[in-house]
Amino acid sequence: MGLEQLLPAIAGMTWQDLVMIGVGLVLIYLAIAKNYEPTLLLPMGFGAILVNIPLSSALTQIDPATGQAVEGVLNVFFDAGIATEIFPLLIFVAIGAMIDFSPLFRNPSLLLFGAAAQLGIFMTMMFASLLGYDLREAASIGIIGAADGPTSIVVASRFAPALLGPISVAAYSYMALVPIIQPPVIRLLTSRKERLIRMSSGSGKKISKKALILFPIAVTIVAGIIAPSSLALIGFLMFGNLVRECGVLNKLSLSAQNELASLVTLLLGITIASTMTADRFIRLDTLFVIALGLFAFVFDTFGGVIFAKFMNLFRKEDNKLNPMIGACGISAFPMSARVIHQMGQKEDPYNYLLMPAISANVGGQIGSVVAGGIILTLVPLFA
Amino acid sequence: MTPTVEKALLIAGIGMAGIFVFMAVFYLLILALDRFLPYQEEKPAEELSEDSVSEEEE
Repeated sequence: MGLEQLLPAIAGMTWQDLVMIGVGLVLIYLAIAKNYEPTLLLPMGFGAILVNIPLSSALTQIDPATGQAVEGVLNVFFDAGIATEIFPLLIFVAIGAMIDFSPLFRNPSLLLFGAAAQLGIFMTMMFASLLGYDLREAASIGIIGAADGPTSIVVASRFAPALLGPISVAAYSYMALVPIIQPPVIRLLTSRKERLIRMSSGSGKKISKKALILFPIAVTIVAGIIAPSSLALIGFLMFGNLVRECGVLNKLSLSAQNELASLVTLLLGITIASTMTADRFIRLDTLFVIALGLFAFVFDTFGGVIFAKFMNLFRKEDNKLNPMIGACGISAFPMSARVIHQMGQKEDPYNYLLMPAISANVGGQIGSVVAGGIILTLVPLFA
Repeated sequence: MTPTVEKALLIAGIGMAGIFVFMAVFYLLILALDRFLPYQEEKPAEELSEDSVSEEEE
């Protein structure tokens, strides 16, 4: 009996499989040692190992004896949870239950940064199309700039399933790397004088419960009227928020924030890994996607900061915005707000930017979902 | 410029404008909710129960 019969996995192992197992180990290392998005990167890393061992029963295999396909559990999860968009949409319910919109009511004008900081999505989409990607693939790569994992997964699974693995890895990795990516870009675009600008926190203002309950309902109706195809994304986010704010579903709200978020994230991570097989991942495309993802995050930051500087042109001297706040218009919450607050304190220990930064960051959470909905609406019209 | 890049440029223009329109509408929505449903101090539960007791006694 030869090695092939005795240990078919070793006999069938290629260098590409070994590289992917290495990628899986790196993701696990980043999750555990560096605490980079561990809830996603750890299952994805483990899943990458799971699917790159030849003949893994986690993936659908052809039984040599019968010639029939034996379904693998990860393929079943993929078909049931990602191809149908159920997993990312359930994550939106959980995220909605976690979001407190009251900072937006205190500083509503900062909502606009949630729009400006989506610039990276569209710049990247254009750049990807210049590199030869078709419109659907370019849009899927661009959506990494939403800095919002579930939105990236929904768009990529619909428009470019072959790129889902690298897009998810890039989206979640760069979200974890916001403290490294944003500060140099912000310093490049702002002067010290601008970084020292103080802003009012508006934290003393109390918000009516009725307004907070009506907000998710009204947003859903408005979004549905303007762009019905964005409704699944925005609707599930707002449904989660309504469960949080209604005051009569506290147990469900806590379950959504904790158990639902944990379970679905776990399944989402390991299921995405089913697309991280060597034949789909070890390609030049993957490197391009990773590089373009970084480009998207840089241009998001650029868009937000430049828009803040633009708004300052029309504001009085004693009411200027700190342009760093613009960078919080991305969806990475609350990491981006924390980064900006720390940058502000580095320049002036008595400058407290956390509250306005959080307001802009909450705006970014809405903006990224809106951007996803708009991409889902527009791309099929032009592709 | 290839047709794909042209289309991407068009989507970028419409897309960015679209996001700003959405956010502007949400901004106005927040202003409206804040104006028509301002925060009002809620009556503490104890006061309410005392009121209801006194009403019953009457």
